[in-house]
Amino acid sequence: MSLYDAKLNTDCIIVDIDIADEKMKIRLMELGLVEGTKIKVTRKSAGKKTLLVVFYSSCFTLKDNIAKAIKVNYA
Amino acid sequence: MRRVLLIGNPNVGKSTLFNSLTKSAEHTGNFHGVTVEEKRKVVRYDDEEYEFVDLPGLYSMNTFSFEEEISRREIMRGDSLNLVLVDANTIKRNLYLCLQLIELNINFKILINNCNKKININKLSINLNKKCEIINAKKEKLNKKILNIREKTHGNNYKIAETYENNTKIPQYLTKYIKLLQSKLNIDENKIILAINGIFDGLNPREIELIKSLYPDIIKDRYDYLDHLLEECNICNDKVYGESRADKWLLNPAIMTLGFITFFLLSIYIIFFLVGPFISDLLTGLIDFIIINPFMNFLYMITDNIWLIEFFRSGVFSSVLTVVSFVPQVCLLFIFITILEDSGIIARMAYVFDDFLSLFGLNGKAIYLMLLGLGCNTMSTLACRNMSEKNMKIKTALLNPYISCMARLPVFVLIASAFFGIKSYFVVVGLYLLGLAVALILGAILNKTILKSNNNNLLLEFPPMRKLDIKHIAVVAEINAIDMIKRVFTVVLCVGVIVWILTHTMFNLNYTEVITDSILYSIADKISIIFKPIGLNSAGVVCALITGLMAKELIVSTISISNNVSTQSALISSLALTTSVVHFSLPSAVSFLIFVLLYCPCVSNMAVLKREVGSFYMWFSIISQITIAYMISFVAYHLLTRGLVSTIIALIVISIILFAIIYIIKKVKHSKCLTCGRCK
Repeated sequence: MSLYDAKLNTDCIIVDIDIADEKMKIRLMELGLVEGTKIKVTRKSAGKKTLLVVFYSSCFTLKDNIAKAIKVNYA
Repeated sequence: MRRVLLIGNPNVGKSTLFNSLTKSAEHTGNFHGVTVEEKRKVVRYDDEEYEFVDLPGLYSMNTFSFEEEISRREIMRGDSLNLVLVDANTIKRNLYLCLQLIELNINFKILINNCNKKININKLSINLNKKCEIINAKKEKLNKKILNIREKTHGNNYKIAETYENNTKIPQYLTKYIKLLQSKLNIDENKIILAINGIFDGLNPREIELIKSLYPDIIKDRYDYLDHLLEECNICNDKVYGESRADKWLLNPAIMTLGFITFFLLSIYIIFFLVGPFISDLLTGLIDFIIINPFMNFLYMITDNIWLIEFFRSGVFSSVLTVVSFVPQVCLLFIFITILEDSGIIARMAYVFDDFLSLFGLNGKAIYLMLLGLGCNTMSTLACRNMSEKNMKIKTALLNPYISCMARLPVFVLIASAFFGIKSYFVVVGLYLLGLAVALILGAILNKTILKSNNNNLLLEFPPMRKLDIKHIAVVAEINAIDMIKRVFTVVLCVGVIVWILTHTMFNLNYTEVITDSILYSIADKISIIFKPIGLNSAGVVCALITGLMAKELIVSTISISNNVSTQSALISSLALTTSVVHFSLPSAVSFLIFVLLYCPCVSNMAVLKREVGSFYMWFSIISQITIAYMISFVAYHLLTRGLVSTIIALIVISIILFAIIYIIKKVKHSKCLTCGRCK
């Protein structure tokens, strides 16, 4: 399941990041979005194009295309 | 002199620490990417000079945006004392950067800020083999302890942590990758370590490709190591930024939009119509009473030279005083911007308005730049560096000058007060909205034509919501007041004097009191024919527009010199009088307001534009702004003088011209592709 499809405020575990843009993929990983990281989606914007996600006690905005490329399982 | 670098992730308090240690007042804010270029200050301590350098925040040595590149370059210069600032609440991500610095064998000390929980500092120091210290960035003073970086971690008990290979400084998790790469590539260890951290000097594409393919595993191992480290040091994160009670309200799009509009309208009302004019009158009265009147009386006593008296009265004092009278309004404007910046609301706005802005080819971060642009367009153009995508950076930089900066504020207040009386509030609000609308429409056009970007990478960390620090807000107001006063006594005064001389000297170099006989007026009279279609055919107005190219504050000062008045109220009343050198009818006043709002960035903004996005886009910005300003002023003037039908015909003509310009740009871009191929 993708992070975009995950239920709001439910803890998930990242299993894979499948982004073609290598630079973006590395940056996401360096921010802590690596396999095994606990993550949850706390909000979706009105147009459902931007998500708010929480991991490592930080809150980040993520665009929908990136969230769709992050594969997760429920924790 | 020793260099001290302040390094760390964005928004961990580097600029705050820089200000505390160097007793400076650099711009700080509760938002990711406030510092976009390094700031330096030399401080003398203990008979030694230290140059403190506040670097833009970076998450990793493997850089992602333009300002991160600046920081990496400074760090890699070496030969500096490095202080790495870490936010206790996001310590794991912050320590990731520390691990990279350790890998690169860079000596540094870790300063932990915002620490309100118990952290086993000793264990952290031993495991990382670096000195760690808990600090309060706001209150820290320059001391020996801070600067003592090279000292061993624990005196005689210093030990190589288990995570390091014996007799080397390379962390254990990295050695397997180094061995693997050494077996496959014929390059030395140092080059491999640099490449692992995103520095590929002297490597060929195949080697780079191979090293990059290992990045995901290396990053994972770094985080595994950090997990282990933090567990051992009993460090756990309990507070999440972005999940406070206030966030529940602020992240609601309806509440945020309504709240922001109310805040914006209220701010403008307070700045321009409630508190601003009151303080402004008080200030000018005081200056008049304390400085100008005694000086002029003294001058009348010692000389009867009319040239000298007029020079001081009209050339020096009126140009300076009319601009100084707007200092209170500018301070108030910065106070309101600082409230948004310090509280952490801007990051929330970036999230809430991201979907809306993406319709115009921009992303949420543009909100911060627009708010910064309300203060100074040059600052906001510079801040475009924190856009990670090149086209997005150029586009945002090109749109910035359409957001009305504080230097245009005096013109709006003067003209609106002179012609619209009680309705001037709506005129000022309307001008701000017009600037925003033009920026958004142009953004959409650029996004569809020459600066396409997909807006797929808004990656923004939420800062904590903070209580407002009145002291800091007062300091910001003070800095901006001083800054404006400095500009008044340098740029405004110099140009004011030149303008006065040119408006009181004839071609035969004789003094004249009749401005219409002067050099500047004669030249401006020739140029004024260009502005006739938009109702600005007075030579005095053209003079004001020309001086406004240097700095927008000069428009008011030039008008006051031309009309020979020194107070704000006298200037307002003179604008509607046909006997004044600079005067307007209602339609020409509207046309002038629109033209000033949109017509051209000031010289400093042009210089920054050239540096950040290149000459081509600087000229593009200048030409497009003048064209757009001219067209909209033309429409407004014709609508007010000749009615709707005539305006519609004019609009059709303008549309044809606009489409022709777009067609030519596309054609030029296409021919560029075919000939040089650089754009590929």
